[in-house]
Amino acid sequence: MTQFTPKERIMRLFKREPLDTMPFFSGMGMVVMPAIKKLGYHFAQVHTDANRLAQSAIWSSKLMGFDSIVVPYDMCWESEAMGNKISLYEDSEDILYPTIPEKRWKSMDEVEIPENIMELGRMPLIPQAIKIIKEQAPEYPVGAWQLGPFTQAGQILELDMILKAVFKQRDKVEQLLDKLTEMIIKIGQALQAAGADYITLREPGVAADLLSPKTFREMIKPRLTRILAAWKSPKILHICGQTDPLVEMMNECGADAISVDIKNNLVETRKKLGNHVLLFGNFDVFALPCKAETTVQEAVAAIKVNIDSGVDAVMPGCDLWPDIKEENMLAIVKTTREYGGARPSPAVGRLS
Amino acid sequence: MANKEELLKALSDGVVNYNEDQVKEAAQAVVDNGYDPLEAIMDGLAHGMEIVGGLYERNEYFVPEVLMCADALYAGLGILRPHVPKKEGESKAQVVIGSVQGDVHDIGKNLVKMMFDVAGFTVHDLGRDVPLENFVKEQLRTDAEIVAMSAMMTTTMLGMRKVIQMIKEKNPNVAIMLGGAPVTKDVAKLFGADGYAESAGNAVEEAIKMIGRLREMRAAGQV
Repeated sequence: MTQFTPKERIMRLFKREPLDTMPFFSGMGMVVMPAIKKLGYHFAQVHTDANRLAQSAIWSSKLMGFDSIVVPYDMCWESEAMGNKISLYEDSEDILYPTIPEKRWKSMDEVEIPENIMELGRMPLIPQAIKIIKEQAPEYPVGAWQLGPFTQAGQILELDMILKAVFKQRDKVEQLLDKLTEMIIKIGQALQAAGADYITLREPGVAADLLSPKTFREMIKPRLTRILAAWKSPKILHICGQTDPLVEMMNECGADAISVDIKNNLVETRKKLGNHVLLFGNFDVFALPCKAETTVQEAVAAIKVNIDSGVDAVMPGCDLWPDIKEENMLAIVKTTREYGGARPSPAVGRLS
Repeated sequence: MANKEELLKALSDGVVNYNEDQVKEAAQAVVDNGYDPLEAIMDGLAHGMEIVGGLYERNEYFVPEVLMCADALYAGLGILRPHVPKKEGESKAQVVIGSVQGDVHDIGKNLVKMMFDVAGFTVHDLGRDVPLENFVKEQLRTDAEIVAMSAMMTTTMLGMRKVIQMIKEKNPNVAIMLGGAPVTKDVAKLFGADGYAESAGNAVEEAIKMIGRLREMRAAGQV
C-alpha cells in the first residue's frame, strides 16, 4: 500500500479510509525536551513566542516520528487573555507548565468575556504558530485544542466554588457555562480558520470521579454538543479521568472521535460504542515514555495491550510529559506502526 | 432540650445533608450543655463523614457533595475544637501539607487536610503552588511526623520525588503521603512514599477510612 504522509494518514483516519499503518498522534500537548534542547530553548520560553512554539512543536514530531503537530501546550491562554496573570516558572529547574496563581474574579457574576479575546494576551500567538507550522512542515496535520466550558471555568474561578455552585447556584453555573461555551466556539473557529486541520475539545474537569454522570448529562453534555456542532470536522472529544460511565454520552456529543485516558477500560468502551466509532487512547504518559525504570520491552508490551484493546490510533492519555526517555518514546511509535499497522483498527478495518 | 444522642445525630445528619446551620446549632448546643466536645467530633461529625464515604463509594455522592459536607464538618469543628481540653504535657501530632509547585488546584489536598483536622493534628498548610524546598524547610522547622503532598499533573508529580529524597536524607522517620490525579500506588512506592491517594476522589476515600479507623481506635480506648 502507498506510504502516506502524516497529514494524509490522519485525514484519511478521520474519513475512515484505509491506512498504511496505525497512526500515533495526539489532540493534546505533544512537545518533548529533545526538541526543545535541539533548538537551544528553555521550557519556559516556548509558551510566549509564536516561532518558538511552532519550532518546538515541529521538531518534537520530526524527532519522534509523531503523525501530527499540536499547539499550544498550556491551559492558561484564555484565562490570561481575560485579565489573569500567569506564572511561567522561569527560574525553576523543573519542567513546569504556566499556571494562573491568583484569579482576578471571585464570583461567577463578575465574569466578562472580551469580544476581542483573540487579540488579547498571548492568544494571537496560536494562529501565528499554526501558520508557521503549515509553511514549514506542510506534510503534517496541525492539531489545536480548547478546554471545555467546565474546565475553563476552573481556570478563571476557584474550582471548589464552581463545584459547590453546581448544587447551590445552578442557574449561575449554567449562565457561566453558556458564556464560556460561546467563547470556546469562537476561539475554536478562529483556530480552524487559521489552518488547524483538526481540533480537540478537552473537558478533564467533568470525569465521573469528580462530577456525577447525571450532572454530565444535564449540564455538560448539551454544551459540549453545542460547541462540537459549531466546529468543522475533524474534531475529537477528550475527557481525562474515569470515563467508563460517560463514554456513550461522550459519543452522542457529535465529535468525529472519542479520546480517553488510562482510567478508561478500552475493551469495554469498544464493546459499548461498536466498531464504527473512532476511539483513541490511552497510554500512561508517565509510566511508559518517562519513568526511568521502565524498559523499552515493557513500554512495547504495554502499547501492544493498548492496540489489542481496540484503539484506532495510539494516543497519550493526556499531554505528553516533555521529559521523555527517547528510546522508550521511539519504541512506542515504532510498535504503533509495526504491531498496529499489521492489524487494521476496527473502525478503519471494518470499512476497508 | 436535645439530649446528647439527639445532638450527635443532628451533627452527623447535618454533615451528611451538608446542612451547615444544623451542624452549627447542634455543635453550639453540645458546648452549652457541657457534653464532651471530642465525642461530638468523633461520634457526630466524623460519623457523618463516614456515611458520606459510603454514599461516595456507591456513586450516590460525588466531589461537589463531599465538598459541601466538608464545609458543614468544618462549621462544627470550628465551634467544638476550642473546647476540647488539652491534656497536660501532651504534644499534638503535626503534619505539613501542600500542593507542589506548578499545581494551583488543591481540592484533594484540602480534603486530606480535613482528615488531619478532625483527628486533632496540628496542620501546617503550605497552600498550593508550593516551591519544593518549602516542604523540607517546614518539616525541619516543625519536626512534623507527616508530610503530605498533592500534584495534579505528571509534570508536577516528579517534584514530589525530589522532596521525598530531600526529606528522607535529613530525617528518614518522616511519613510521606502523596496524592493527586497522576499518582498511582506504584508511583508512590517508586518515589519512596509511605501512603497515597490517587485523586480528589481517592483522597475522600482515604480521608474517610482514616477517620473511621480513628473512631474505632478511640472506641477501643487506644487514643
